[in-house]
Parts: sequence; structure tokens; C-alpha cells
Amino acid sequence: MKLTINGQPHEVADTAVSPDMPLLWVLRDLLNLTGTKFGCGVAACGACTVLVDGQAVRSCVTPLSSIGAKPVRTIEALGSAERPHALQAAWIAHQVPQCGYCQSGMLMAAAALLAKNPNPSDADIDAAITNICRCGTYPRIRDAIKAAATALRTKA
Amino acid sequence: MKRRTWILSGVAASAALVVGWGAMPPRSRLGGVATLPIVDGEIGLNGWIKIAQDGAVLVAMNRSEMGQGVHTALAMLAAEELDVSLAKVRLIQAGYDKLYGNVAAFVGQLPFHPSDMEPGAETRLVKTGQWIVAKVARELGINMTGGSSTIADAWDVLRLAAATARAQLLGAASLQWKLPAAELVIDDGVISHPASGQKSHFGVFAKAAAATPVSTVALKEAKDWTLIGTKAPRIDVAAKTNGSAQFGIDVRAPGMVHAVVRHAPALGGSPGAMNSDAALKLPGVERVIRLGSYAGSTDAIAVVGRTYWHAKQGAQALQVDWQAPPAGVLSSAAIEQSLEATVRAAAKEGGGFAYFTRGDVAAAAKAGDVRVIEQLYRAPYLAHATMEPINCTARVSGNGAARRVEVWAPTQVPGAARAIAARAAGVDESAVTLHVTYLGGGFGRRLDVDFVGQAVRIAVETDERAVQLVWPREEDIAHDFYRPAGAALMQATLDAKGVPTSLAITSAGDAITPRWMARNLPALAGPIDLPDKTTSEGLFDQIYAIPAQRIAHVATHSGVPVGYWRSVGHSHNAFFSESFIDELAFEAKQDPVAFRLALLKDAPRHAAVLKLAAERGGWGRPLPAGHARGVALHESFGSIVAQVAECSIERGQVRVHRVVCAADVGTVVNPGIVAQQMESGVIFGLTAALYGRIDIEGSVVRQTNFPNYPMLKLADAPRIETHLVPSTRAPGGVGEPGTPPIAPAVANALFVLTGQRQRGLPLVA
Repeated sequence: MKLTINGQPHEVADTAVSPDMPLLWVLRDLLNLTGTKFGCGVAACGACTVLVDGQAVRSCVTPLSSIGAKPVRTIEALGSAERPHALQAAWIAHQVPQCGYCQSGMLMAAAALLAKNPNPSDADIDAAITNICRCGTYPRIRDAIKAAATALRTKA
Repeated sequence: MKRRTWILSGVAASAALVVGWGAMPPRSRLGGVATLPIVDGEIGLNGWIKIAQDGAVLVAMNRSEMGQGVHTALAMLAAEELDVSLAKVRLIQAGYDKLYGNVAAFVGQLPFHPSDMEPGAETRLVKTGQWIVAKVARELGINMTGGSSTIADAWDVLRLAAATARAQLLGAASLQWKLPAAELVIDDGVISHPASGQKSHFGVFAKAAAATPVSTVALKEAKDWTLIGTKAPRIDVAAKTNGSAQFGIDVRAPGMVHAVVRHAPALGGSPGAMNSDAALKLPGVERVIRLGSYAGSTDAIAVVGRTYWHAKQGAQALQVDWQAPPAGVLSSAAIEQSLEATVRAAAKEGGGFAYFTRGDVAAAAKAGDVRVIEQLYRAPYLAHATMEPINCTARVSGNGAARRVEVWAPTQVPGAARAIAARAAGVDESAVTLHVTYLGGGFGRRLDVDFVGQAVRIAVETDERAVQLVWPREEDIAHDFYRPAGAALMQATLDAKGVPTSLAITSAGDAITPRWMARNLPALAGPIDLPDKTTSEGLFDQIYAIPAQRIAHVATHSGVPVGYWRSVGHSHNAFFSESFIDELAFEAKQDPVAFRLALLKDAPRHAAVLKLAAERGGWGRPLPAGHARGVALHESFGSIVAQVAECSIERGQVRVHRVVCAADVGTVVNPGIVAQQMESGVIFGLTAALYGRIDIEGSVVRQTNFPNYPMLKLADAPRIETHLVPSTRAPGGVGEPGTPPIAPAVANALFVLTGQRQRGLPLVA
């Protein structure tokens, strides 16, 4: 089975997977892309959020068969050390993470939001970011998303 | 048994454990140059500090990073005394020497009243008790990250270690350059002699420094700090925004296989007859292993597969005749009823272990012209639900005396984890190498090591390949060590002016510490349960000047697995005490802040915190229609926190709009991290206050995953402001003290909104 992840082609042996295998476990356990996290397995927490064709999806319930040729983007390719995504820069400036476990999913959900909506309101952020964080980083996430949106609009 | 008798008998028992009496300065935990072995030319100067060849400072990290920021804060303590920037500090995992044990956490378990513990004015009993427990803790050397104790424990020791290393490095430079040390300066790890222009980094002097004795070492004075007290950015944040931070679940080893556990559904149950044919026929499923109980876990079956998903498919395909627990069936409803009956009966006969008594409660209640107020409060069981599911990776290689075990564990207790790994593999502890990873949340759950024993047991059968055990979320919620349910009968008297004249509290609930000790430190578990301070903390240690008090607890043993949960006893006891004080204010027809302040005349620090929260929270100022404020003040883990919560009820839901948090946490190492922890404590406490409840029926936990054990989300999170009262006292804790006040602050606001007093959790609209 062929997949395009972070702009790179990946081949997963058909003997290793079945069509109903969730994307999350292909990423984590077969391709060792461990930045995407497992949290609940039932699409309730968002720790496993990745972008498929630009849309935020919860990869723990996204069967491989639904991906096809659509490009997959994970936290590993949101930005780079040299060129961090505006959200990553804002996350650092606002010192968002604590334990950090949920943050990959938070960042990918936020990236999908900003790609569609460059100036999200509080209500837009509420509706788009339904991921769970047990450390309580929510207020800083809200502030960081707004700061990143401003930075992106200023740059554009 | 009387409290004093117990403490004195504890003194005698402890004395027997102690080897060598005498002064116990922080020096006794410094370690020597040999404590940290030379690796890659890195030279150890003592048990905490190594110097790399490039001049970088390596700090032996003995505490686990689970979000609370200790890796950054401890690095700051070392960097401050060594005059290097945080960028020049690298962390290495500390070993198992006793000097890495946690003394502050054990001293914090002493059930003394805060008024007896004022630094410099401790009573003789307090001094003796603290000295002995510190001595015993020092000898035991138990390494654990918990009890909001990391900075308090490291404050003297790590700074002294770094200052000593600095003196050694300066001494070595002085000898080599034949210049007086007083003429040398250090700037970001570079020693220079400004007059002559000579200049070299630490690495040049490390070897000589290790052989340079120092006589007197002075810590920097607070006025000279350049790092302590600043909002230095966390050292782990970049890795936690790009997916590269390695949590336990991210460990990958060549040829690694994956395992999923399925416990007997009933707590304490076991698997009986099993048919694993269907599971083993599934592609990618390798084997099925029965797991006995490890450190208190329920018996289980593990399925090993190519990936988590393959193993999980296998686990679901198992057909098992699950057996009920032999000890009888647990019901949380029955336990909660029984706790209520227990506190009512014990209150009548003056029962329970009295953690604090003052004056004559019975006489106060009989005095003329007093009003008696009596209410029963309750709290349910709670699960931890760390975001990173429970996991551990292990590899067992070799046989017999050559057997070696390697473990990667997100754990708060590396020593206990290593011990159970050794038992599970049948090897000596010295044959185990344990790597502590980042923890995706701990909250006390990772003070237990059940999952480490399970992973190593599985690894014994995976043919020398590493195996990563991951619990599905359903196993985590249904097989936790729960925050115990509790009940408390609160009784007070008010005189004609509305002044409280007595307070009697009789609480009941499972003691955690003896159960935890039996699971995780079995060699130290005693045959009888000693009084456990955590049961009554937040009740017996209230600071309010109420002349007659009797605060007692009946420790129960329900059979439900119970464990430490962020802020432990304070998590529910603060709800009881700070809701009840609000009730008394209402009965006295007084403003809740003014009522508390009147009882804080001898507690200026508490009064200052409360006043700051009230002022910044706009106490008494107008609010939008349908909004109300509630307040709570609570001391825990050496820090005092007050919160003002602004709430409303919208569409049948409790909504918390804004929380203003004021705190006196002693000396602040990093105000940015303190603010983060206050925010964290508030949100964690709000989830419990608004949603948290674990129900057990027929020994089976009914909740299974986030859809039926919900968490607060971003849309429901309040704005949170933190304001700190400046202090020069030694640092208190910050990881937990933000949690206790939020439930009563919200409950007190809801009372203003509805006129209905809620005396149970979770709160309802």
C-alpha cells in the first residue's frame, strides 16, 4: 500500500496491514512517526489529530482504506527547526506545553483551523479545538492561536 | 491512640532504623567525585554536577518531568550557582544512590499543624519529628517525584552542589594560572582573569577541579540572583511543539513488538478458562500471556502483536471466563453509604484518629446562646486519566546469571520501578537498566509501578525482543488506583455575634499511604496501618482561629485500589472545609471574605493571599446579571492559594468564566512555571468539580473512556490570572496547591447564584 506522508512516498507491505487498520498505528508502529499520539482510540481526545488532504482528522479511527492518494501531514512536518510554523513559534512564545503529550494534536487541529480561517474568533476556536489536555493549557492555546493568526496575516 | 503517643512511638521506631546519629547538613547529600562515573570525558565533581569536555554543565536529574517544569527549574538552580546560562546545562538521568532520594516529601507527610511549624519557631515536637523523618528518609533514599516537593527538596542540596562545583572550578583555575581566585570571574561557564586577559571554559579545568578540595562554600545571596526569579523559558518546550519529545509510548527499539493488556473486568478478579484460538489466528498476533498481579494490578491477559492495533484486535478476540474477585464484590454506592454511617457514628462517640485538637469542643457546643451548624459532605472516587496512556517498554536478554533487563518507563518512582522489573524477570536489581522518559502526565498515577512489572513479565517471553506494553484507555479508566471516596461530618458553633466558637470534623475514607507502601515499597510496609496524614490533610491543618477544634478521621479499607491523585487528601477535603466555612459566613450573615479575614488575624500570610485574590478578582464589584463570584483559600504542600471564581449557569450547565488566583509559594524559582501550574491546577480541579465521578458496581468500574468520563475542554475553560505574593521563605510546592481551592470556590459561587448549597461532588447546575 502506498501512502504520501509529509511529502514523502511511503510503502507499507500489504501483508503488514489490512484496510481497516487505523492510520494512527501505521504512522506510529510501522513508520515510527511517533509525534502523533494515541490518547483514547475512540476519536474523543484529539491527541492523534493529523491532516489528510488539509483536513484535521482523528487518525485513531481513520481506516487506511479511506486515505488512498490523499496527502497526510503530521506534526513532524508542520514546520522545521529553521522555519517553525507560526503556531509553533507562538506555542513557544506563550510557553504553552506542560507535559506536552496532547500538543501535537492541538497544533495540527489549530493548523487546520488557520488554513481555513485566518482570523478566528473565540467561538471559532472553541468549535475547532475540541481536543483534551489534562494539564490545562487551554487558555494559553487560545492566546497562541490568536497570536499565530495575527503573525500569519501580517506576513501575508 | 492519642496523637502525641503515636508520634513518640514513631520516633522510637524510626530511631531503630537510623544508622549513625548526628548533624545532617545538606552536605550529606552531595556525593563525591565517584558518584557519577566518567563517561565520554565528562568529569563528575560531586553527585549532582559533571563538567563536559566542551564546558557544558551536566546535572544529575533525579526527578521526572511530567509537565510541572522541574527539569527547567532544577536546571535553573544549578545554572544560577555555576554562573552558566540554561543553554549550557544538559540533564543526565540520576542513578540509584540514596542521595537522590526525596527527603522533603517524607517530611511533608508529618501531621503537624501549620501554626506549630513556623520556620524558626517550631515546637520541640515538630523539630524532633522533622529531624527524625528527614534522617530516616535520607537513609532510605527513596526517589520519587510527588508531593509537590521537588524544589523544596533540591533547594539546599542542588544549589550547594553547584556552588561547590563552582568553587572547585575556580580553585583549579587559580592553581593553574597561579592567580588569586578572588581575581577570577565566571561568565556563562567561562572563567577569565580580566587583568591579564586569560580565559578558558569549565571543561579545561574539570579534571583538576575534581581533585581540588574546597573548604567553605557560600550560596549566592538572593540579591545576586540573575536566573532564579525570572520567567526563563522551559527547556522542554521546543521538543514538545515539534513531536520530537520522547514519552514512554514513543520508545522504539529494533525488532520491537507491541502488547495490549486486558484485565479481568472486576477489580481484583482473574481470568479463568480461556480460548485464544481466534485471537492467535488473526494476522499479526503472536502470542497470549497470562499476567498475575504486579504491585496491586488486577490479574490480566496480554496479547503480543506486530503493532498496538494487531495486539488490540487479538485482545478483543479472546474468549475468557472471567472470575469474580474472591474478596467479595465492591460497590461504590454501598461504600459511600457506609462512609456516611461511619462518620455519623464516630462523631457521636468522639471516634476516629484525632489529627488536631484544641480547646473543648463539647463544652463549646453546650455553651448558652450558640447556634449549632452540622452538615455532611461527600466526594466520589476519581481516576487520573493521564493523557499518555499507561505504558512501559522492556527487553529481557540472556538467561540465568547473565540475564539482563532494560526498561523504558514513564515513572515517578524509578527505584520502585527497577525493583519490580527485577522481581518480574527474576534478576538482581543491578541487572536492570531503567530509562525514565518524559511522562505524558503523572498526577500520582505513575507513582504506581504495576505496568512496569507487567511489561517485564511479557518481555520474558518475547525472545529477547523489546516489547512495548500499552493499556487501551478503557483499561486505564477501569483499572486505576483511584482517589478514594470520602465523607465528612462538619459541625460548628457560632456565638450570638456570628463568631465561630468550635469546629468538629469527623471524616472517613480509605487511607492511601499504607496501601501504596504495600504495593510499591513492600519491604517497608508495616503489619498495621499507621495514621495517614493524607486522609485528614486540608481538614486538621486549617489556619482559622477557631478556639475549640477536634478534627478526626476514621481510616477505612474498602478493598477498592486507591492511590495518590493530584493534591491527594486536599483534593476533596478543601471542598469540605472551604464550602463549610462559606456556610458559616452565610449563617453569620457576613461577607465570605470578611468572615475569613476575621479568623486570620494571626495568619498574616494567609490574609495577604486572600486579600490579593479578592482585590484582583474584583470582590464586591458589580457583575453581569446571572454571574456570581465564589472564593476559597487553602494551604497545601507549603503554599497558600486563594481563588475567586466567577460563574454562571448557561443552558443548564455550570460555566466558569474567570478565575483569579493569588498565591504565596515562598521563594519563586520561575514565576512563569508557577503561573502555568496554577492554571493547570485550576483546570484539573475543575474537571473533577464539574464532571469527575467513578462508579463501581459488582466490582466493575462503569466508566471506560472520555465519552463517559469527560474532561473539561477549551470551550469551557475559564480565563485564569495568577498573582504572587512576594516571599523570601524557602520554596513551597506548586504542582498541586492550585487544585484544591477551585471546587469550593465554584461551589460557593453556585450557592450565591442558586441559594442551594451543594455538599457533594461533582457539582451540578
